[in-house]
Amino acid sequence: MSPPKPPHAKPCILITEEAAGNVYRVQDEVSLLRASLEGETEAWGEVISRYKDAVFGLCLGFLRNRADAEDITHDAFIRAYVNLRRYNLEKRFSTWLFTIAANLCRNRLRYRRNHPVATLPAQIRGGADPATIIARDDRHAEVREALTRLPYGYRAPLVLRFYNDLPYREIAEILAIPEGTVKTRIHRGKSMLKRRMEEERDPS
Amino acid sequence: MRQNEIDEILRDTLRQEVAETTAGLVGLEERIVIELGERRPRLRVSGWLRQLLAPTRGGRIGQLSVVSATAAICLLLGFFVANQVGLDGGSPGIRLTPSRTTNGGQEVLFVLPALDATDVSVVGNFNSWEPTALSDDDNDGIWMASIPLPPGRYEYAFVIDGRWWGQDPLADEYVQSYGEYSSVRYVGGGDGA
Repeated sequence: MSPPKPPHAKPCILITEEAAGNVYRVQDEVSLLRASLEGETEAWGEVISRYKDAVFGLCLGFLRNRADAEDITHDAFIRAYVNLRRYNLEKRFSTWLFTIAANLCRNRLRYRRNHPVATLPAQIRGGADPATIIARDDRHAEVREALTRLPYGYRAPLVLRFYNDLPYREIAEILAIPEGTVKTRIHRGKSMLKRRMEEERDPS
Repeated sequence: MRQNEIDEILRDTLRQEVAETTAGLVGLEERIVIELGERRPRLRVSGWLRQLLAPTRGGRIGQLSVVSATAAICLLLGFFVANQVGLDGGSPGIRLTPSRTTNGGQEVLFVLPALDATDVSVVGNFNSWEPTALSDDDNDGIWMASIPLPPGRYEYAFVIDGRWWGQDPLADEYVQSYGEYSSVRYVGGGDGA
């Protein structure tokens, strides 16, 4: 699965689908957004198709819980649609959408501090959910465990960098922190991750 | 472990994790489109005002000029405050006078203009500093929430897109702690929460 490409990378994507008996054609992302703003919810459905994996990956990485990630992905697309008028075309749409998702994730994490989920580690490893596959690769399982234990402030930039493939500038914008802080946190986050993985392998 | 090795394994792990758990995303588009279709569009005065003031050219969707946006917000806030807020006879400043609840407290209205915000909440000692979302259902940039509170003194702040905003124009006073402002509101003449 590849992360979403910037709007300018899709100069003329022609999508045709049946919607309410009419042939619905969309040429590019800006047209999709304008159509969405005019109330064509099917156009918004196409936006969701393009970005749902990226938004879900962000949420799963931030929250470390599949059910919460699904909830927040849904809420982020609803929130973005309702607030589409506020979107500034001069900015990348993905950055704006990811900012909404990141803010919702942060609120959910605050809520989870007081309402913890008892089965969280099992869900992440796939043990409790038949839809997921137990991580066969020990190394991946170690990284997942270490990521879950990493503080949010370090985990979030790592997810945006290594799952969403975003540049430092956009990560800074999404998390509302300076670009220098993003670089520092990614560097330190990786060091912490490495140390925790080594500790898990050799607890002594 | 080399640095680029940890980069690779992080990338692989995150992608693998998502690939294993995307079953819940099947049909998300349809579900959201149906949900949005069921929401009835509401035509408000603010929407009409926005259309009237929106420029015919420009790069931003539904953009208002700064002046017209400010004027519209002030106008709307003025209408709103005129309807919802009363002046408290002897004391200076604006005091909210919403309906009283059975326990002697009040439905306290928190209202904040934040034109470009996508997420506004209020945190305070009345909700253990856990966010209570403000809503802007008609997209006019004015966010509000009504919270029933018993008499007392309440410290609070707004969180606008993750950023702290501690100076509510409708507050009775402000306090500063840890380098940040918080607003204070007195409900029902209370002096302690």
